[in-house]
Amino acid sequence: MARIVIDPITRIEGHLRIECEVENGKVSKAWTSGQMWRGIENIVKGRDAREVWLFTQRICGV
Amino acid sequence: MKNKDIASVSKHLGVSRREFLKYCSIVAAGMGLPLGTGEQIAEAVTKAARRPPVIWLSAQECTGCSESLLRATHPTFEHLILDLISLDYHETLSTPSGHQAEAARAASIKENKGKFILVVDGAIPVKDKGIYCMIAGRTALDILQETAKDAFAIIAMGSCSSWGGVPSADPNPTGATPVQKILTDAGIKTPVVTIPGCPPNPYNFLSTVLYFVTFKKLPELDDLARPKFAYGRLIHENCERRPHFDAGRFATEFGDENHRKGYCLYKLGCKGPETHANCPSILFGDTGSGTWPVGTGHPCFGCTEKGIGFHKPLFSKASLHMVTPPDTYPHVVEHQGKSALAGIAVAAAAAGAAYAAVNNVAKKLGDDDGKGKK
Repeated sequence: MARIVIDPITRIEGHLRIECEVENGKVSKAWTSGQMWRGIENIVKGRDAREVWLFTQRICGV
Repeated sequence: MKNKDIASVSKHLGVSRREFLKYCSIVAAGMGLPLGTGEQIAEAVTKAARRPPVIWLSAQECTGCSESLLRATHPTFEHLILDLISLDYHETLSTPSGHQAEAARAASIKENKGKFILVVDGAIPVKDKGIYCMIAGRTALDILQETAKDAFAIIAMGSCSSWGGVPSADPNPTGATPVQKILTDAGIKTPVVTIPGCPPNPYNFLSTVLYFVTFKKLPELDDLARPKFAYGRLIHENCERRPHFDAGRFATEFGDENHRKGYCLYKLGCKGPETHANCPSILFGDTGSGTWPVGTGHPCFGCTEKGIGFHKPLFSKASLHMVTPPDTYPHVVEHQGKSALAGIAVAAAAAGAAYAAVNNVAKKLGDDDGKGKK
């Protein structure tokens, strides 16, 4: 059983990691994980609601 | 400059010789360089023996910086940048993934030690040993420190890598830190140019790269490491709504009559008076006049200024550095003179009007809630 790690996944926005297990030429198990966290949920907590868009809009720039 | 050089570039970029030279001249003019510099830039581009290698690292970013660069509507733009440089590593643009992409980065560092340009977009998290941004199992902090010490120069692309930007907003949950601070703390002396903006204007980035390619040095920088040609003036100085400010005509609510008339957005929290950038002059997206935040009716939020964008509340009023309108601006109501004598009378009237305008501004700034004038 081979275990493959692909990190970083390119040609997408953000930092993605994929790990998978291969059995008899087929992927039997796979895990994906985002490798970056900014805490925008915490940044907007308690903030003036009128300026929250400024932050949430920038979660992804694509 | 030989025509065959131009011809090869034209073929490469898919634009005419005329268009290519025109483009280089626009870039030169944008940097405030003499007219002939356009040709020098064109020559440097066509005669470059080897394209300067560029490694582009992404940390806590949203890819908006890359997007603004790649989605430029000017047809030669993204070609010029991508054909001019050798982009050896860019997470979003690399064809290979995983260890192959990482191998390209390592190979380029080894081959071009001390010669490559390092571009960084995104802030670097340092809290909890930097675990909030990992690439190939390593922290962005670790990768930046490793790559930066071998770079010729670093371009911090966007507000996040320049000042911390979005992720560094209060309470800065991940300890998001600008590139310069990471380097200073690690004792790395590689020079850093900041191109702040959220997103930064692609022309400011391209002009900086072209300047480097042409003159083999970095452009003149201000005390925050921003190129002076792009960030030398306040937005307030070149704003098309400035005459309304000087005349004391303000929008006080979104959608009110004054807002619909295109009056000054200062009272809605516009940060133009304390933000340095060339947005009103070069605009965004090559689609004509008014294509920048203030042009569309929204106050500037100060993304290119340290401590303003994402830090100062959106609707708080800006600190004013220059309440007095410079005397080079046209007057709000321009009188027409007919003779030399009338001209003198106009000048006298204008001086009086300017004086009145200053008083008017001071008065109107104060009549809202008294907090406006500083």
